[in-house]
Parts: sequence; structure tokens; C-alpha cells
Amino acid sequence: MEIAASKVIFYIIAAAILFFALLSVTSKRILRAATYLFIVLISTAALYFLLNYQFLGAVQIALYAGGIVVMIIFSILLTSHAGQKFEPVSRLKFFASLLAVLVGWALSLWVILSHPFVASSKEAVEVNMDSIGKALLSYDRNGYVLVFEVISILLLAAMIGAIVISKKQPGDGETNPDNSKTSK
Amino acid sequence: MGKPIRITLKQANDMMGGLALQDFLVVSTSMFFIGIFGFLTRRNLITILMSVELILNSVNINFVAFNYFLHPEAMHGIFFAIFVIAVAAAEAAVAIAIIINIYRRFKSINIENVSEMKY
Amino acid sequence: MLLQYLSLMRQEVSLIFIAVLVLICELTVNQRYKKVVIPITLVLFGVHTILGFVPFDGGKLFGGMFATSHAQALMKSVLNVGVFIILLQSVAWLKKEVNFQKSNEFLILLFSTLTGMYFMISSGDFLMFYIGLEIASIPMAMLAAFDTFRSKSSEAGIKFLLNSALSSGILLFGISLFYAISGTIYFDDLPLYFSPVSPLFALGFIFFISGLAFKMSLVPFHLWTADVYEGSPTIVTSYFSVISKGAAAFITSILLFKVFFNQLYLWKDIIYLLSVLTMTVGNLFALRQTNIKRFLAFSSISQAGFILLGLVNVDSLGVTAIIYFILIYILSNLSAFGVVMAIANVTGKEEIKDYNGLYKTNPLLSLTMMLAMFSLAGIPPTAGFFSKFFLFTDAAKGGYYWLVFIAVLNTIISLYYYLLVVKAMFISPNEQPIERFRSDIYTRTALLITVVGIFAVGIYSPIFEYIRNIIDKF
Repeated sequence: MEIAASKVIFYIIAAAILFFALLSVTSKRILRAATYLFIVLISTAALYFLLNYQFLGAVQIALYAGGIVVMIIFSILLTSHAGQKFEPVSRLKFFASLLAVLVGWALSLWVILSHPFVASSKEAVEVNMDSIGKALLSYDRNGYVLVFEVISILLLAAMIGAIVISKKQPGDGETNPDNSKTSK
Repeated sequence: MGKPIRITLKQANDMMGGLALQDFLVVSTSMFFIGIFGFLTRRNLITILMSVELILNSVNINFVAFNYFLHPEAMHGIFFAIFVIAVAAAEAAVAIAIIINIYRRFKSINIENVSEMKY
Repeated sequence: MLLQYLSLMRQEVSLIFIAVLVLICELTVNQRYKKVVIPITLVLFGVHTILGFVPFDGGKLFGGMFATSHAQALMKSVLNVGVFIILLQSVAWLKKEVNFQKSNEFLILLFSTLTGMYFMISSGDFLMFYIGLEIASIPMAMLAAFDTFRSKSSEAGIKFLLNSALSSGILLFGISLFYAISGTIYFDDLPLYFSPVSPLFALGFIFFISGLAFKMSLVPFHLWTADVYEGSPTIVTSYFSVISKGAAAFITSILLFKVFFNQLYLWKDIIYLLSVLTMTVGNLFALRQTNIKRFLAFSSISQAGFILLGLVNVDSLGVTAIIYFILIYILSNLSAFGVVMAIANVTGKEEIKDYNGLYKTNPLLSLTMMLAMFSLAGIPPTAGFFSKFFLFTDAAKGGYYWLVFIAVLNTIISLYYYLLVVKAMFISPNEQPIERFRSDIYTRTALLITVVGIFAVGIYSPIFEYIRNIIDKF
């Protein structure tokens, strides 16, 4: 009963994703919210592994769970007390948002689930490191070398900008001497 | 090239170990709207950033699931997901640089005091 | 082969070349010679702008991922003109002591956003489009947060970043649904799969257009605009309201005409509604503003509503009118921002009431500002009149008389608040008007270019014909 097994695994992962996603946007403690986000992202990687996309799963773990969440936790620890609770939003805003989101969710789900998706029957390409690497550097149709090169501009600009913005300027060292070590 | 033979989704699912596209879509759509809900109700900049990450993640699940179940003849979905992850990382880095700058210069431990997002 | 790639991507390549050159200068040039970098960049960018107008054949590269044509090259050139004026205006600001240390970084970030816009305009598939869009918006957030010592500036940066990330997420959700329907992301393949329209397509389209409307700050997706515009450094505000908005309008028109052309009946009504809402709400908010930057921000929201007029009637005149309108909008708005910046640089004053009696002390600046206001409002013989006139003609030709009527009404409302500024400068008395001052040569050149442009582009009709010819061939 291999079929049933993958189905069961999927439902466990899906339940974990939805449960912890909900917790991560409602939790009152910021560090917990970050931890829940971490679990959601790891579970998403598990979904990719379930679909046999190992490379994508690895990227998800390394970049999302490993990079972004660590960065978020780092900044939480730097800027807040770990156990700090925050004020809830006003009731009116909470329920208005809830209503809007529920309506949007129901509508989208209804449209998406009632759509008769047709799968293409063309021969599937094998997705592995080899084919991904080749497509990434190919400049023909279905090749992505241009995007691969252009995104380097984004990363360079992000790097330069992040340094400029968080760099210590001459003359503002006295505002907070405790943090002088973290600045460049 | 002749017209591709269409097969039903059910047949496709049977071939793929009983997983169904619809199940994935329920997960991703729900996660997307959970993210939007977080974006609307959160008051702290870092938690808003986390909601945005949820939204981007749900979009990735969408792309990957469509690639796997519907259009396995190319890798558009997978590449979209990879690039979205890369962009999300850059976005988070910049956001955190600005947040740290706000914190350091204005000594506000609670970011809400600095920035009251007006909607 | 290589030559073909270079010739088709010449604008991108030369812009990236300039950006890399600035980066190398930042790393190697001695501090003493640092102030040479700005003029050299200006000259290089000027050459780049002029070369952009040289006609060259279009074509597709990278298997259709990058597509360019005369029309797209022209759109980039129009943006170049705006960026060149902004660079001129930014010199005085960059030379201030607080900014001078990071002036090269400012230029690099500015050029990377422009590169993103280029790639967005020339994109041939959704992935390239998305990456271009992100390169155009993430460095923008850093530019908005550039005044690291002001809390409002950081706030503007983080607000813009989070809002743009949200809108990208919504946009991507729409794209993922298009991908589900078609299995491809290339613009030239996509239209084959879209008809007949399914509810799923409609849902995807709504997500997609909402994401774009966020970027263009159309009502009801405009809520981030005012705070971001007010908080950013003035030079960045003008970049936001002119260049970013222009690029977003260009890519919207390209996408609607290229990819979604057959679903015209679906998006026509959406654009109609967005246009009316944007014009009206933008105007009503602009009426109440007392800060000149906020005032220009809201008036630029309502200008975006006018841009949409050119989209409802699908023909070459519409696109021509949009490009023409954006060119003139760039000139007029930059002229207004140039005056605001010149005054803010010297005195730091940004309220409209500070402008009372400006004519007595600074007559030339006041006249420039008056001209800009007239052009934004659309009073003949300034160019603003002609640009609005063509947009209205195009919409009327398509039979959208109600839309034109609403647009004219909005123009009259906008006339009122633009004239309020003129009244403040020329009529309102003030015991302590802003002192007489002289701006530096760069600011004056920039203002001169915009003033000449406001007259010349309107009166010299071959410019319109030139754009029209290029669009007809497109």
C-alpha cells in the first residue's frame, strides 16, 4: 500500500503547515511566531521532497529556513525582548480583516477547485541537478541564463544598499554605544 | 508535432502515487490568505515581514504543484520557485537592514512606536 | 552572434557599464578626487540617453525571454530623459556633507532600479518580468530609506518594501494561475491558451492586475503612497512619482496589449473603474494637503488615473498618447520637484504656506513653478494641455464620453489646487518670505531643460508624430 502511505504523509505535512502558519500569524510572542514560521518552511521543503524535487527542497531548507529565518530571529533578538508580547489590534480591524480574508479565501478556493485542470501529456523532463544546471545556463528557449545573470544585479544592489543603510555614520556613535560591535 | 493527447487529472494522479493537485492547492491557497490576514492584522514590522514570507512560500507551492501535476514537460514552475526564493532572501535582507537601522538610531525596542502603519 | 546580442541589449549593457564604473570608482578612487565621479557619471549618462534615441532594429534574444523593439527602446529613452534630469537635480543634494560619503552608492542604486525597469519593459516572459519588477522596487526601498538619520525616511523605506513585497506576492499568485492554465510563461505563447476565458483565468487576472495597481499606486491600492512620498528624500520622491510610475504604466500597457489583448472585454471595465476612482480620489485628497511633497504625491496619483484613459480604447493612438503624456508629465513634475528641492536644500521648508510671497524674492523660481503647475493642470499653451488633449481625444474616439466627462471635471478640480500654489507664490502676502538665493549650476540646468521641454514638446508637433510613427510600426 505505497499509494496510501504517500497520501497519509501528505496529509500530516499539510496539517502541520496550515496549523503552524495560523499560529505564526496569531501568536502574541514574536520569537514563537518565528519558530512557527520555521516549522512551516521546513514542512514546505518536505512537500517538495515528497514530489521528488530534491534540489528545490534543499534550496528551500538552505535559503528559506536556514537563511531568512535565521536572519529574522537574529533581528528579533537584536531589537526585542525574546518573550515580549505585543498589543492585539483593535477588534474592529481584526474582524474586518478576518471577514475580508475569509471571503477572498472561500471565493478563490471555490474557483480553483471547480476548475477542470488538464494535465499535459507531453513527455516529462527529468528534474535533477544535471537538468536544472543545464537549463540555468542555457540561452535557448526554456533556458534561464538571462534571469540568472540579471538577478545578480539585484543581489549586488541589495548588498550595497543593506551596507549603506545599516552602516554606522560618523557622528552617531553616541546614540547607542552597545551596538557598535554589530555595525560595519 | 501533433496535438498532445490530454489525459484526465485523475489518471495523472493515479500515476503519481495518489497525491492530488487539489490537495496542494487547498494548502497553498489557505496559506496565501493566512499570510494576507497576518499582513493586515500585525502591528510589528518583523511579523509583517514573516507574513510576506508566508505569502511568497504559498506561491512557490502553487508553482511547484502546477509544474509537477500539469506541465512536467518543462521546468518553468521549479525555476519560478527558485528565483522567488532568491528574491525573497534579498528582500528580507534589505528589510532587516532597515529595521536594524530604525532600531539603532531611534532606540526603539518596540518597532511599533516608530512606525504606525497607517491603513 | 555576440554582436547581435550587444546591439539588441545596448541600452541595458551601457547602463550596467556605467553602474559598474561607478562601483569601481567607489572602490578605487581616492577620497580627494571623489567629487569628479558625479560629473563624469552625468556626462556618461547623457551620452547613454542620446544614444538611446538612435534607431536600431528590434528582435528577440534568449529564446524569447528578452524582446525589444523601437517602441520599447523609445519607452526606455523617455525614462532616460527623466533620470538625466533627476541626476542633475540630485547633485546639490549629493554634495551635502551627510550624503557625500554615500553618493556613489546612491548612483549605483538608482541605476540598478533603472536597469530593472529596462528589463521589465523588455521582458518576454513572466519570470523576466518579475525579476525586473523586483530589481526596480527593492533598491527603491533602500533609496527611500537613504536618509538614515531621519525616522520618517526609514519608515518610508520599510513601508514601501513591505507593501511592494505584498503586491509581488499577489501578482505572483495571479501568474501561477496563468501558468496552470497555459503551461508556459512566454508572452508570445500565452494568448493561445487564454481563450475561452475560464473563471480561473478571471481570478488570476484580478490578482495580477491588483498587484500591478499596487505598483502604479492606483486607488484603492494607493494607501502606501502618501507616507512613502512624504518620508523619502525629495529627490527619491520625484523618482518614485515620475520614473517608477512611468515604467509601471509602460509595462501595464505592453502586457495588456500583448498578452491579454483577446480578453479586452474583461479588463476594459476594470481599467475604466480604476481610472475614475484614481482620478477622483487622488484629487480629493490633494485638495486637503498642506505639505508640498504630499500635495505633489496625491496629484501624481490622480495623474496616474489620466494615464489609464489611454488604455480603455485599444489602438495605436492610445499608446502614443500614453508615451507622450508620460514624457510631458516627467518634464512638468520634475520641474515642480526641482523647485521644491532647490528651496528645501537651502531653507528646508516644505509647507505650501512657506511659498507665500516667493515671487518677490525669487521671481525665476516662481515662474518655473507656475509653469509646472499650469502644465500639470493642462492649461494651454503648455505641453500639459496637449498631452491631456490627446488622451481625451483617444478615449472619446472609443465612445467613452462619460469617462472623458469625468476626466474633464477632475481636470477642473485639479486646476483649483494647482492654482492655489500659484496664488501662494504671487498674491499671498508674507512678512518673512524665503530669502533670495541662487542655486548651483546643475539645478539651474535641470530647471532650464524642463522649462524648455514644457514649451517645446507641446508646440513642436513632430515629436508627437515621431512617437506615433514608431508605435504604428510596433
